[in-house]
Amino acid sequence: MHIHELNPKRTIVTLVIFTAIIVIGLVTLKSPRLVFNQPLNETIEMAVWDEGSVFPYELTDVINGNIDTVLLVDLRNTFEFAQGNIPGSENISSVELLSEDNIERLEDHKTKGMCVVVYDNDQLHANGPWMVLRQLGFDNVKILLGGYNYYKQWADNLDDSYSNDAYFKGTPQFDYNEMASSANVDEDDASATKTPITVQRKKKTNVAEGGC
Amino acid sequence: MNKNYIYLTVLMLVLAAGLFVLPERDNSKQTNPEDLMWSIVQPTRFISTDVVAKMIIERDPTLELIDVRSEDEYSEFSLEKAINIPLDSLTSENYQNYLGIKGLKAIFYSNDDIKADQAWVIAKRLGFDNIYVMKGGLNCWMKTIIEPTQPNETASSEEFELYSFRKGASIYFTGANMENDSEGTKAVINVQRKKKTSVVEGGC
Repeated sequence: MHIHELNPKRTIVTLVIFTAIIVIGLVTLKSPRLVFNQPLNETIEMAVWDEGSVFPYELTDVINGNIDTVLLVDLRNTFEFAQGNIPGSENISSVELLSEDNIERLEDHKTKGMCVVVYDNDQLHANGPWMVLRQLGFDNVKILLGGYNYYKQWADNLDDSYSNDAYFKGTPQFDYNEMASSANVDEDDASATKTPITVQRKKKTNVAEGGC
Repeated sequence: MNKNYIYLTVLMLVLAAGLFVLPERDNSKQTNPEDLMWSIVQPTRFISTDVVAKMIIERDPTLELIDVRSEDEYSEFSLEKAINIPLDSLTSENYQNYLGIKGLKAIFYSNDDIKADQAWVIAKRLGFDNIYVMKGGLNCWMKTIIEPTQPNETASSEEFELYSFRKGASIYFTGANMENDSEGTKAVINVQRKKKTSVVEGGC
């Protein structure tokens, strides 16, 4: 005879404990704090089509305080931030960007429909953090082309930077083939001339106009 | 038969059915965001054009250059032995075999370094290691390796050493004649170079 059949209560106790453990396990099943909410193909599309970038001249209204739906975030460290920053910007260094407080605040901004523009010294440095935020699902986060270095150069007449393309990245500055062929290597003048690049310049608008 | 066994069986079946409602987690292989951010913050992924040039010249077997520009751009000009993985097909199966090969250093490059860096972030999210970005991209390659700038006369000896390395690399990559550097043309070059120093001095 089986021992359980002698003592049915025991079976019930075991059953209860068993179920309790399973239920507790399910309830406390830990999901990671941060997950990528943007599917990979969207991330790639975003990169290929240069989505989510802000042109330096678009910042004038933000700096002048005419628009309050845009938050500028400086990703550099406190030391660099203290030495100079874009007026009205807030300092959250890349290292602390994903801390609980900051994620909470970013979520807060997102629900309020605020636009967050991140920048570093140049576009390259802000690229990684910006991409991570985008992949986490913060589609209201944009990146400042040219970064702080470009801004600093044009700080006094930011509006005029409209006609200056120096912040554009990703286009060839030379005719590689011509430059790298042996015939031209020592004739600097001929090969170093810039090939004319036709850049599609975005219509001059404010960041807030299109929403986030 | 004891009723308890029936209860037990039913319970087991219910619990087993519960597995179906567990949330699907298809991205478990991917790097988690915090780790990704951590590796982004560190500048170790950037490799200078000089190092890449040196690796090509020395035929470093661990070098794997990856051109992330479009196919058209790649067929027009590419670095020696580079393979083409356009940014938009980075996740397609055929190309992923080129990434994550043990012992190889995959170095992304594009016209600049933004696109290469974006490819890097995506590949890193997919969990690939040993990937790098060529700093400055092809534009910098042209400025530093193909047409290096002669340092000022007051520059340090390291800069002159770097310049002579770049000059040699330039000849290696362009197949230019050594005689082109004869003294006759040197005076002319000096004048031109001085104009350029302010623009590209210090690299990209």
